[in-house]
Amino acid sequence: MNSVPASISLSDAPVGIRDPDLDESLDVDRPWIVLVWNDPINLMSYVTFVLQKVFGYSREKAETMMLEVHNNGRSVVSTGTREKAELDVFRLHEHGLWATMQQD
Amino acid sequence: MAFGLRRPFHAKGPDRFIVNLGQREREVLQAVCEDLLGALDEPEAQPLLRRVYPVAHVDDAEIDRAYQEMVHSDLVSSRRTALERIIATVEDDEINRETLDTWMIGLNTVRLVLGTRLDVDEGPQPELEPDDPDLVAMAVYEFLGGIIETIVRSLTSTL
Repeated sequence: MNSVPASISLSDAPVGIRDPDLDESLDVDRPWIVLVWNDPINLMSYVTFVLQKVFGYSREKAETMMLEVHNNGRSVVSTGTREKAELDVFRLHEHGLWATMQQD
Repeated sequence: MAFGLRRPFHAKGPDRFIVNLGQREREVLQAVCEDLLGALDEPEAQPLLRRVYPVAHVDDAEIDRAYQEMVHSDLVSSRRTALERIIATVEDDEINRETLDTWMIGLNTVRLVLGTRLDVDEGPQPELEPDDPDLVAMAVYEFLGGIIETIVRSLTSTL
């Protein structure tokens, strides 16, 4: 459950469908952020635990992020390359959290 | 054990968890997992499953479509595997950590779908009339919340 099945390659698929855009090469170094959004169904304790499990965060750090989601509607839970962000989003989706990614 | 204080799950060690559920409770868990297993492939059920396959790229529909195409079958099959595993172990009195984690994810998926169908809001749910057609679904939704809460608590206690 916790690993990405071998059949998907998170690193290359979405890139292929984008229009070739010269400007894009300038964006390569800008990091991607992964956001978790508030939803009325997932339990607060569950969200905290999933952040601990997926990212290895301490209870305190995961709880702070969960409260930010709860109070502000969203929280940045990880940053990095596009590939890492896609993997993180996938793992959060596996756990039923509403996660999105965007370039910072 | 004192009345009302029974713990449905508790850790006996880092990889051993006692499942202290009654027969009726296990039957409910099995029934909801079987229901969702049947719905995973039903076209008409897909709107209710929208929280199971969330949008990943909010500001670019085209990129999101590509993401969904890439991961959708994996998200479906990991859910199917989880639900089947719960059904296969629903009578067990002791399960390992990986199985309990699978119970957590699978039952949370069921709760997401039920909550979507019930259109729940943040906070305590409104009291339903005794003849409300959603009464049973809401009771199961609340029951699953308690189950997930105690699974999370026992997994957290052994991190």
